[in-house]
Amino acid sequence: MNTPLLVWIILAPLLGAILNAGFYFYHIKKQKVSDKIFSIIGTGTPLIAFLITLYLFLQMREEGVIFTQNLFTWISIGDLTIQMSFLGDNLAIFMSMFVTFVGWLIHIYAIGYMKGDDGFGKFFAYFNLFLASMLILVLADNPIILFIGWEGVGVCSYLLIAFYYGNKENVIAGNKAFIANRVGDFGFLLGVVTLFFAVGADSLSFSTIEANISNASTELLVLSGFLLFVGAMGKSAQIPLYVWLPDAMAGPTPISALIHAATMVTAGVYMVARFHFLYSGIENIGLFIAYIGAFSALFAAVIATKQQDIKKILAYSTMSQLGYMFIAVGLGFYSSGLFHVFTHAFFKAMLFMGAGGIIIALHHEQNIFKIAQHRAQLPIIHFTFLVGVIAISGIPPFSGFFSKDAILAAAFQEGEYLIWGIGMFTAFLTAFYMFRLYFIIFVAPTKNVSQHIYTSKTITFPLLVLSIGAIAAGFLNFPAIFGGEAMVDAWLTQLNSNAIHMSHSTEYILMAASIIVAVAGILVAYKKYAKFDIYKPESEEGIIANKFYVDEFYDKIFVQASKKLSTFIDKVVDEKIIDGFIMTVCNEFVSFGKKVATIQNANVRFYAGFMLVGMSCIFVYLYILLGL
Amino acid sequence: MISLSSYAFVSMMLFSIGVIGVIARKNIFVIYMSIELMLNGITLFLVTFARYHFNLDAQVMTVLVIAIAAAEAAIFLSVIILLFRSKKSLDTDIFTTLTQGENS
Amino acid sequence: MSADVLSFIIFLPAVVAFGLMITTKNVEAVRNIAFLATTVVLALVLKLYLEFEPSAGMQFVTNASWISSYGINYYIGVDGFSLTILMMIAILIPTSYLLLWEGRTKGYWINLLLVQTGVTGSLLALDVVLFYFFWEVMLLPVFLLIGIYGFGNKVFTTIKVTVYTMAGSLLMFVAILYLGVAFNSEYGYWSFQYNDLMKITTLSYEENIWLFLAFLAAFAIKIPIFPLHTWIMETYKNAPTGAVFLLSSIMAKLGVYAIVRFMIPIFPEIYVEFSMWFVIFGLFGLVYFGIAALMQDDIKRMFAYSSASHLSFISAGIFSLNEYGINGALYLIIAHAIATGALFLLVGIIHEETGTKSIKQLGGIAKTAPIFTVIFAIMLFANVGLPGTNGFVSELLIIFGIYEFNHTLGYISALTVIIGASYMLWMFQRAILQNRDGECLKMRDLKIKEIIGLTPWIILVFLMGIYPDIFIDKFEPTVTHYINDILKIGAMK
Repeated sequence: MNTPLLVWIILAPLLGAILNAGFYFYHIKKQKVSDKIFSIIGTGTPLIAFLITLYLFLQMREEGVIFTQNLFTWISIGDLTIQMSFLGDNLAIFMSMFVTFVGWLIHIYAIGYMKGDDGFGKFFAYFNLFLASMLILVLADNPIILFIGWEGVGVCSYLLIAFYYGNKENVIAGNKAFIANRVGDFGFLLGVVTLFFAVGADSLSFSTIEANISNASTELLVLSGFLLFVGAMGKSAQIPLYVWLPDAMAGPTPISALIHAATMVTAGVYMVARFHFLYSGIENIGLFIAYIGAFSALFAAVIATKQQDIKKILAYSTMSQLGYMFIAVGLGFYSSGLFHVFTHAFFKAMLFMGAGGIIIALHHEQNIFKIAQHRAQLPIIHFTFLVGVIAISGIPPFSGFFSKDAILAAAFQEGEYLIWGIGMFTAFLTAFYMFRLYFIIFVAPTKNVSQHIYTSKTITFPLLVLSIGAIAAGFLNFPAIFGGEAMVDAWLTQLNSNAIHMSHSTEYILMAASIIVAVAGILVAYKKYAKFDIYKPESEEGIIANKFYVDEFYDKIFVQASKKLSTFIDKVVDEKIIDGFIMTVCNEFVSFGKKVATIQNANVRFYAGFMLVGMSCIFVYLYILLGL
Repeated sequence: MISLSSYAFVSMMLFSIGVIGVIARKNIFVIYMSIELMLNGITLFLVTFARYHFNLDAQVMTVLVIAIAAAEAAIFLSVIILLFRSKKSLDTDIFTTLTQGENS
Repeated sequence: MSADVLSFIIFLPAVVAFGLMITTKNVEAVRNIAFLATTVVLALVLKLYLEFEPSAGMQFVTNASWISSYGINYYIGVDGFSLTILMMIAILIPTSYLLLWEGRTKGYWINLLLVQTGVTGSLLALDVVLFYFFWEVMLLPVFLLIGIYGFGNKVFTTIKVTVYTMAGSLLMFVAILYLGVAFNSEYGYWSFQYNDLMKITTLSYEENIWLFLAFLAAFAIKIPIFPLHTWIMETYKNAPTGAVFLLSSIMAKLGVYAIVRFMIPIFPEIYVEFSMWFVIFGLFGLVYFGIAALMQDDIKRMFAYSSASHLSFISAGIFSLNEYGINGALYLIIAHAIATGALFLLVGIIHEETGTKSIKQLGGIAKTAPIFTVIFAIMLFANVGLPGTNGFVSELLIIFGIYEFNHTLGYISALTVIIGASYMLWMFQRAILQNRDGECLKMRDLKIKEIIGLTPWIILVFLMGIYPDIFIDKFEPTVTHYINDILKIGAMK
């Protein structure tokens, strides 16, 4: 049913961004504006968005309706009609709920984190703009409007990663993120175009594509499914377009928490779920997606075991967990994948925010060994960090267990034992490196303890709220075998996800197996790191510690090659060959002219002789012509 | 009577000597003399035809040519004096100001 | 509104220019009056825009005989295509004056006015010889602008670009005369109006191809289309900002417009037959120029390549034979004019303030000039085709168009998404964002006047990106008729 409220979910943070930007310009040009104003606008508008979403959610629960809102016709040319309209169905509102909620909490956190920074207002303007773009993505009714949000979050990610732009490393990281995303977008755009022409529908909205999908030939559907996933590869940092994510940690921690943990990176998963009607029909592509997810998960986990920067460890862990989500949606278990998105948002954001709290308390120190050497007493952060680490390792009854286990069971049920095996091993590694992180930072013996520590309520309050989510969110999708109602799965029935239906004993065994694997990881980490000598940090040598040299490889193949090609085109082809050809033609004319001009040598006798010759020729010609 | 062709031959010889003199000699005076020689050859030619076809039009042209040659002599000689004053030489090859290239 | 308004729009700047030439010497007065004249033109064009009927074909027509013994008429009129481009020109020129405000001489302003006359005239002319007349009028003031007010090797540059362009126009003129003669021998009277020339049927296939190529030479040089593009390198480097802005934002678009207005209706079967080649050339130019732009150090030259890249994309869209491509190309014409025009003007400000155009020597501008950086970033992202800006809508439509034309070429055309972003962001990082090692460059932020001048452009960028239908509606019916007519004729032969 129609509602005018949907667009306000987006407009609230958008207006917040514009207001903050305006105030910020005033702040730098005329006179200072207090941080309070930026904070109030910056955190108030996401809260408004959340409240509207909550209201719509409750209405949907009660009445079982779907909300739509059509603003205007965006383009109407020939067969192509695209409407600027929004769709608030179960999936969209589900995503929107946790995006706005977690977003709001991170905005509050950012008040404390960015305190005293010159660009405080600018930060909140960008942050609100990001949230607005993410909501456009989630609430879009057709792929093009989704793409507007998709690129919008890409741009905001660029702006925020390069927030401290004076330092060129940050800007380079921002460029990398944007361009890697763009490679993905290239695929996405082509996927949409292929899909539109294959389906032959009139307007380009998800519902019409779904209705007409049988018109399309299977090859074209496979092609567009693949291309759309290329976009997801870029946005959600899967192999091979993941290289931007670790570098993106150059931005301030709140954005790592929001963008690169909870929201933007999950847009790829959302997109696959949104196109479920497409992917359910092309199972090969789905399998491909699942394999990419599995390998990305494994790859990232291996690298994370040797990283020494706290944010980079968390970044690789995000990529790893995203791999799990793609395993799920690739195999058709859309609601399980989205459930993992949901739980992951809580504990990953919390982990990042905790890491940020530590980083600030120790004056922007990010190396885990140095952090340990100057350990500070931060009880709340310690507690929430521990909660997060346990949750991500998949220990019941914390939320991570339920979502991860559902995915592993799905892989097992579908007969994809290789994926299941990779998933289990990765779970082991996850527990291992996360607890490595925990033990080094909080447990390994250290000599001195910092005294001057800074933390504030705006940092700790969101952490506590999220920890509740990390612990309890599992119960929202409590599996049936334990007597729960699987509410998330029920909510997302529109996706026609596959469901787990195996015998209870198999399920219990699988659950036990995943718990054992996780506990094994913790034990190995405990053995190695609980009493680690932090004053002798691990070496940074070796293939794994150097991230398998992928960055260097990409640099050589793409960046250096492009530069060489560019120089070649510019200096050789353009200047020498093409322009050279034209200039040669001109120079030939000029030199010919010069040669002819030597006749004009001002020598009188030469002229006389010339005249003689000329006249003689004329006479001879006339003689012959006139036949005399 | 001496035949027409002999007179024609003589006047052509005079004319040719004059032409070669204009082209091949560098001294300005010699060039001038060669020009006068060419004119004389042509006047001889004209007079010959006047005599052989009993038509006085050619004789009128001859008188005109002689008068013009005289006027031309005056100007020519003044110009030679000016040229000599500027370059102190009677070599025509050194007057190259109107050319293109290094010598202009 | 009477049809005379078009003549007024065309000739007002020239009349004002001549008047200023002979009267005052005061630069301020000249500049203010020039600005006033172009604003008056803007107001008239706005009124024209509002009164235009999208589906009624050619409107506001004037057809007076000029050289009647050869059938050359003063035949002007406006339809969806020309109106859109006219609107774009009318908005861009006065606002660009605001960005060129300080430090010019009288000759500069007068030349700018004369170019406007030439440009508007060739836009509105419907008689081929009249079009050629205005086309040449357009070239000469630019010759003077570059030669007198340029930098570096300016005299050589201006001679090169003028002779190169004129070589093309001369070929076109020969073709025009040939067509006139053919028309005369077929119908018994002279006429050079484009809708009459469309009716020639006696020319053989080979003749048609040669004439087509001759016409194309003139426009391909102007746009530029690979491989007739090498004049842009020196020209954009050495020309003054006003000339660069006019060349890339306005005059290049006229090349595209002229293809649509004259070449395609007169030679529809050749167009249909060779469209594949031209799309390939256009896409090749897109990729080629984009890659070449990557390693440029001179910022103006880099933008020259970027501009050429987008213009090749536009011409690929025109040759894609369907409504998406042509509508998208027209939209990209406007989007590109705004974004690239603004970027060139901003780069001109950088050059004037800091004295350097080399990316290696620039840096740290974002710190001292935040408003400048923001506007630069907005135009940069519009150029790159970020959704929400007009660049995205146009590129999307062209990709749709080329895909419908040929699937593989459609895939290649989407490469614009990646290529544009790479060199733009890299330049942005080095020239603007990152701090310079060494002392800060002397760089001022934008003045109020300049901000006011750029505001309409920023509004247009976002308005066209968020609500494109109101703009597309004005020219879409024309394009649809056009395609149907052309394709019918092309299909028949």
